[in-house]
Amino acid sequence: MSIKPGIFLPELLRHLFKKPVTVKYPFEKDPVPKDFRGNVVFDPPKCIGCMICVNDCPAEAIDIIRVSETEKKFKMILHNDRCIHCAQCVDSCPTKTYHMDGEFETAVLNRHQLKIEYK
Amino acid sequence: MEFKVALGPQHPALHEPISLRMTLEGEIIRDADLKLGYNHRGIEKLAESRTFIQNLYLTERICGICSFSHQTCYTQGVEKLMELVPARRGLYIRTLICELERVHSHLLWLGVAGQEAGFESFFMYTWRDREVVMDILDWITGNRVHYSMNTFGGVRRDIDELQKKKILDTLGLLKTRTEYYLNIGASEPTFANRLAGVGKLSKEKAIALCAVGPTLRASGVPMDVRKDDPYAVYDEIPFEVATADSCDVLGRAVVRVKELLESYKIIEFLLKNLPEGPFKVKAPRKVKENEVYSRYEAPRGENVHYIKSNGSDKPERLKVRAPTLANYAATIAMLKNGFIADIPLIFAAIDPCICCAERLVQLDNPRSGESKVLSFSQLRAMANDRYKKINFKKKDSAWPF
Repeated sequence: MSIKPGIFLPELLRHLFKKPVTVKYPFEKDPVPKDFRGNVVFDPPKCIGCMICVNDCPAEAIDIIRVSETEKKFKMILHNDRCIHCAQCVDSCPTKTYHMDGEFETAVLNRHQLKIEYK
Repeated sequence: MEFKVALGPQHPALHEPISLRMTLEGEIIRDADLKLGYNHRGIEKLAESRTFIQNLYLTERICGICSFSHQTCYTQGVEKLMELVPARRGLYIRTLICELERVHSHLLWLGVAGQEAGFESFFMYTWRDREVVMDILDWITGNRVHYSMNTFGGVRRDIDELQKKKILDTLGLLKTRTEYYLNIGASEPTFANRLAGVGKLSKEKAIALCAVGPTLRASGVPMDVRKDDPYAVYDEIPFEVATADSCDVLGRAVVRVKELLESYKIIEFLLKNLPEGPFKVKAPRKVKENEVYSRYEAPRGENVHYIKSNGSDKPERLKVRAPTLANYAATIAMLKNGFIADIPLIFAAIDPCICCAERLVQLDNPRSGESKVLSFSQLRAMANDRYKKINFKKKDSAWPF
């Protein structure tokens, strides 16, 4: 083992002439990966009201409500302030009613705005 | 002349809330005691009121760095309870993510060790390389920290040819960089001298105090759950258990760098031998009455989950023993007869994760030193009593803004 002081110096100096790796975020956006789990999106006509998603949701963020007495029609209320974006509802749904979008800028000033209703 | 010094739970030298009580003689630590419970969140109790599927995401949130370790340990346990044989391709992908997580955790640790030793540029460059592996994880699982890849019977997402090629391409870069760090550790005198001889833990003591993971392996004990009790597909993968004989922090750094190099080999093997077929099988919802003990080699050491089921869709008991908790006794032994300036380095060397380890909180009366066990209803009554005593009309208690 030979001791060489300052072995890190070439690597340090090389970095002086490199471009920064960061992007200018609000103006430039990195693309999200293929399987990115953004917001939950619900497609009401496909829902059969089996409630598997409500039972499986680890954050209790999904409410499914029957809107018609005679027909099998359902609406979904998503509490996005509780949602942990795990996409278990997408996996659990037998009729593929759910999918995740690529949205990641979900911050709002009031948490009540995060309650989304799909009719 | 002896001094008693309290360090933590909130202290700028420590990254996480550990509370230390030390007896000093000059600058030398003669005795040390550790207090736990500042990060207790009641996860085990919460797990009892949730279904097995919901607990997948709860166990994942026990820790941020080794989130996949806890989730996999839990998933393997429940699969054993269900008597379910997971899909082979799913097991390969699961093992792949285990190893990628090990790479990112070890690179993170190397950076922290560099920072604690006063080698800031080393910290910056290892974390630069950690971004490479974080990008791979992001690319194949969808998110950077909580991958949510496990499900009972396999994994939730498949890997395609393009992703496979990208991982193999970037692996070469990581390999050259890690070899470069091994070279730096060996020939940069300031770094090696700072780490050598600090936090000595002899082989006999490491075994007697039940140390786990790189802490144990740096004391010359080749013990690794991946070799001793193989889970997933580790019995099919050729790899070596990295050890060091120096029994100090330098040895722990060397073990981790060697493990990084082994991990790259494992990742390459997994991707080249990825079997065709389904990546998950259907799992039942209810679990028969039984109990299971699941072991997993997390980046920090052996992780253990004990799961008891009672025939319903919820576990009756979930017990988590994280590697940090197993290493505490050894840490106390390492601190004894060391310098007070070495505390952050010795603590960093076990790669502590306090939120992993905190499964219990004990409240002592600071005046009398008494400790007692309180039930939930007693705690609730105490809180209500205290709340009733507060005089809200008092002028001083008004919010000043």
